[in-house]
Amino acid sequence: MLRYFIKRIVSIIPTIILVSVFVFLFVRFIPGDPARMLAGADATIEDVQMAKEALGLDKPAVVQYFDYMRGLLHGDMGMSLKTRNPVSYEIGLRYWYTVRLTLVSILWSVIAGLTMGIVSATNRGKWKDYAGMTLAVSGISVPAFWLGLMLIQLFAVKWRILPSTGGDELKSLILPSFTLGVGVAAVIARFTRSSVIEVLKEDYVRTARAKGLKENLIVWKHVFRNSMISVITVVGLQFGFLLGGSVVVESIFGYPGLGTLLIDSVSFRDYPMIQSLILIFSLNFIIINLIVDLLYAVVNPEIELG
Amino acid sequence: MEINQNEVQIDIGEVEEIRSPFKEFRRKFKKQKTSLIAAGFVLLLVILAIIGPSIVPYDVTAEDYNIILKAPSWQHLFGTDTFGRDIFSRVIAGSRISLFVGLTSVTFGAFFGSILGLISGYYGGIIDSIIMRVSDTLFAFPGIILAIGIIAILGPGLANVIIAVAVFSMPMFARIVRSNTLALKNSVYIEAAENIGASDMRILFKHLLPGSFSNIIVYYTMTIGNSILTASSLSFLGMGAQPPSPEWGAMLSGGRDYIGLSWHMTFFPGLAIFLTVLAFNMLGDGLRDALDPKLEG
Repeated sequence: MLRYFIKRIVSIIPTIILVSVFVFLFVRFIPGDPARMLAGADATIEDVQMAKEALGLDKPAVVQYFDYMRGLLHGDMGMSLKTRNPVSYEIGLRYWYTVRLTLVSILWSVIAGLTMGIVSATNRGKWKDYAGMTLAVSGISVPAFWLGLMLIQLFAVKWRILPSTGGDELKSLILPSFTLGVGVAAVIARFTRSSVIEVLKEDYVRTARAKGLKENLIVWKHVFRNSMISVITVVGLQFGFLLGGSVVVESIFGYPGLGTLLIDSVSFRDYPMIQSLILIFSLNFIIINLIVDLLYAVVNPEIELG
Repeated sequence: MEINQNEVQIDIGEVEEIRSPFKEFRRKFKKQKTSLIAAGFVLLLVILAIIGPSIVPYDVTAEDYNIILKAPSWQHLFGTDTFGRDIFSRVIAGSRISLFVGLTSVTFGAFFGSILGLISGYYGGIIDSIIMRVSDTLFAFPGIILAIGIIAILGPGLANVIIAVAVFSMPMFARIVRSNTLALKNSVYIEAAENIGASDMRILFKHLLPGSFSNIIVYYTMTIGNSILTASSLSFLGMGAQPPSPEWGAMLSGGRDYIGLSWHMTFFPGLAIFLTVLAFNMLGDGLRDALDPKLEG
């Protein structure tokens, strides 16, 4: 087990390096002279030179990359062009907001998705199944920004029971996390349904039935555990959609997280900030998937470790 | 003995009734009522996208300050917006943009992704490693983040949204085609083609690619919905279609500040996105169930 863990942890290193190269190249893809772009339209020659040095653009690309990486390892991600604060400071202010939002969203959507999937699968072909699956396909099709705005319209404007903007109180998390989690709950529900249906066909379920075990007991003792194993991997992948979706959802609710910061930075062309945010988002995603994979190995006794 | 022979005869008779793959697909697909409805809705959308802009009751960009923010009525089914434009006409006209963006981006993604997958699967070795590493790296950027990054470089606009969404959908096609190609490349007919001296191009496109068609079609259909969703999200965030374009996401974005005053400005364009994506997703589900032999029974 330990060997597998170490191997899996080491295996993400090349991906992280490639991602950092992509993100490093990012600024170099900007058409024209990045330094000029960074310095702004009415920049003096000195400003451009300063931006160039700030980016290290006066050195060879390979050296630049290693400088960039060295900076990152020391937590230095450069300066925001908008606020003139260190990027790491700006990100630090908002990081936990996004983490909190995604965690609340994944929590409720996993519970709701699993329940819906199991109910659908054990009532296959009946109205509960159709209702659940119609809800699920709607859930993956609904645009988050529309759902969010409609929820604001109903709960904040019309009935005035929930705040429309995000803040520190827990109440303000309800609408954003619901909006963000709907799609994920739907995907998990669909996946759980099909994996439960697969497990229900297994011999050990037939044996349990033949033993005269109660159906509820079979579902909870045998089916739930075994289908959970395959559902875990989907949850990991769904985290990516949550992180991406948080950008849209945060923007609708004016939630002070990384997503809002990214949108603001794109409209301001704050490239050091955009670059670092993209890096942070993908690092989070990679690490979450690693954790999920390790968890998978713990839960699933059949996995080939090696 | 005679009875036994008769039974054998009957069996053969039944075996001969095997349907062609296409007929089999049609039979299974027709059994799914919801997919048929979804297919009908997609067809309606395509027709609207073609003739819609020329049959709408009002000019989609004509502003009329006497009728701003009117609630839905018989004259203006979906009401009017802040410029007094008819939202119904704009939603109908917008179908062309959304379908165009969805279809072109996924088509580009499928085209380049499939070629990369073919090359990767057939040649293997270092080319395979490079292509797969790069596509794994693209997977490491969660969801819409990659698209936003591309827009940040290229600048806002619908053409750039198409590029961003295409890049975003490419790795999955590459993966699907690669795994199919790996499974097929050692089959006898490929070996035969190689032995009679068929060119690589011929083997790749004539013999290997068709083996992935059913998977490509299913994934293609399922991705269109998602691409329309991504593209309209980008427009909503101000990175895609710009006003006064009747793009659905951009229309929603224009209405978000009036949510308390005129809900219809955001409701109808959003409903249009929702139903369109829903139709493509249900169609994709139907195609998958009809084309996937594992789901029999």
